[in-house]
Amino acid sequence: MKAKVSGFGIFYLSLFFVVLYLPVLSVVLYSFNASSSTAQWTGWTLDWYRQLFSDRVIAQAFRVSIQVAVLTALLSAVLGTFTAVISLWVTNRTKKAIQGMMILPLIVPEVALGVSLLFFFNALRLPFGILTLVLSHSLFCVPYVYIMVRLRLQEIDVSIIESALDLGASRRQMVRTIILPLVAPSIVTAALLCLAMSLDDVIISTYMSGPRSTTLPVHIFSMMRVGVTPKVNALCSLILMGTFLIIGFSQLITKKRRFS
Amino acid sequence: MKQPLLALVELNKYYGDVHVLKDVSFDINEGEFLTLLGPSGCGKTTLLRCIAGLERIQSGDILLAGTSIKELAPNKRNVNTVFQNYALFPHFNVYDNVAYGPRMKKSMGEAELKTKVAEVLELVQMSGYEQRMPHQLSGGQRQRIAIARALINEPAILLLDEPLGALDLKLRKHMQTELARLQRKTGTTFVYVTHDQEEALNMSDRIVVIDQGQVQQLGSPREIYNNPANLFVTSFIGDRNIFPVEVLQVGDDYSQVRLGEDVVAVRSSPSARGALSADDEAVLAILMDKMRISCEQMDNAFRGEVVSIHYAGSQIRIEVRVAGRILTVVEYQKLECECQVGDSVFVSWEESGAYLLPQEDGWEERGL
Repeated sequence: MKAKVSGFGIFYLSLFFVVLYLPVLSVVLYSFNASSSTAQWTGWTLDWYRQLFSDRVIAQAFRVSIQVAVLTALLSAVLGTFTAVISLWVTNRTKKAIQGMMILPLIVPEVALGVSLLFFFNALRLPFGILTLVLSHSLFCVPYVYIMVRLRLQEIDVSIIESALDLGASRRQMVRTIILPLVAPSIVTAALLCLAMSLDDVIISTYMSGPRSTTLPVHIFSMMRVGVTPKVNALCSLILMGTFLIIGFSQLITKKRRFS
Repeated sequence: MKQPLLALVELNKYYGDVHVLKDVSFDINEGEFLTLLGPSGCGKTTLLRCIAGLERIQSGDILLAGTSIKELAPNKRNVNTVFQNYALFPHFNVYDNVAYGPRMKKSMGEAELKTKVAEVLELVQMSGYEQRMPHQLSGGQRQRIAIARALINEPAILLLDEPLGALDLKLRKHMQTELARLQRKTGTTFVYVTHDQEEALNMSDRIVVIDQGQVQQLGSPREIYNNPANLFVTSFIGDRNIFPVEVLQVGDDYSQVRLGEDVVAVRSSPSARGALSADDEAVLAILMDKMRISCEQMDNAFRGEVVSIHYAGSQIRIEVRVAGRILTVVEYQKLECECQVGDSVFVSWEESGAYLLPQEDGWEERGL
């Protein structure tokens, strides 16, 4: 049943979306502003984008970000899926323990997480750089993969798994031929989410970045210290576009045929 | 003596503190259609899953052709299961579903596999459906594919867990005949789980009646229907009027019992012979459709008053109050006595339809 929305309701909802998206739109708009000040609008230009693409430091930070994000997505997808599938065969108690440990990185404040990781990797004498970035990003990404894959696993009829074993598959064969194909869409969606979260992270990346391995958001943060330049606007606009593309892609995957 | 194909030896199974299978022992012969029959929660499905290896047993043994299989994983046991909800692999088409077992076991090459798949699909009358996905099939078709998928492994025993439960009545009747045909044609031993007595009586060579985790009776459909071993089987199989009577005299074949003011002679069950003596309370069970209503006084009959008459298609169900109890009589032909509600009539029965059993504590409270 569709309830009729009152005039006030529509007004309120519109206001909400305006407040939510107006700042985002203004960033995109001002990235095309000819004036270097955000105070006035002096006409259209693509100068800021030109400057952006010729900036070596930004290009380097972008490369680092992409490398870290892709590696994080892959590592998290493997670890998260593995843990979720293993949970099918452990006792209830172990399952609860796994679940608890999976939720923990999501509720510990990132600042605290960053500090502890800093100490930890220092003690291990790991050089700060891509490796530490990937490991620390995976720490908060694996839980998302685990949760999404587990949700999908719960939708799978247990008797499908049992009948595979009954028909002659070993556990390993069954996982490969039945479970993985059925949870694959969830793994891909979760991996894309990890990609977006890794690209987006500032706090933990600030702790983990090493020389020549600053991620893009960390670099933007440092650029902001000297004031908002239209170059930052242009960069943010591009990041926005990238994020929308990733989200759109993951939506497309989940919408594709789903098996019961 | 011939060795049984599968021997269950004093199986015990617990879920936590719940004792779900209690000392279950019986043999399954090669090539027979054996049905495990019992109410929901009696342990019949658990027993099937123990044979398949999907559940572990705490004590006892399962011998397949003389060799213990209780420690083997499901994929190492030469038995296959057809699940109630079919459990077809949703991401495989019919061909890949059926080919799954041999592919996992690497038991044949793709060329041989192709012939074999065609063969079993032909057997279940599903040739030409190779490329369909499971969600494009009807319930009955999925059922056939599930059976084909199990049969291609040529199991020593095919286990079927209420496979017709999700089908509508007409299709269920059809599939009953179909299953019986398949069983005869392949010569495979079928172990079939159901709570539907009609299914069990129709298809089985032998029936194992299970209640509360224990085997209540094992026998041919005829034996179980006509000579139920105890009160549970009596009330579970067949539509019977079951009511307590007073024992006047116990004989080898016949006993005299009284209900209200009427005294009748009835067949004693084997269990009644040793257990009953005069003045005991016993239970008389009479098949509803072996009973008859007449207007005239006759021997071996109860006098009662007609409470209601229902015409239900080919049968007429008449409820008669006898000594404060309501008995249901099912007649198929035209009534020989044109009675009306409130009339006084006499209820008699064919001798083979009545059976005297010892009273058991608490059976009426269980609502059987």
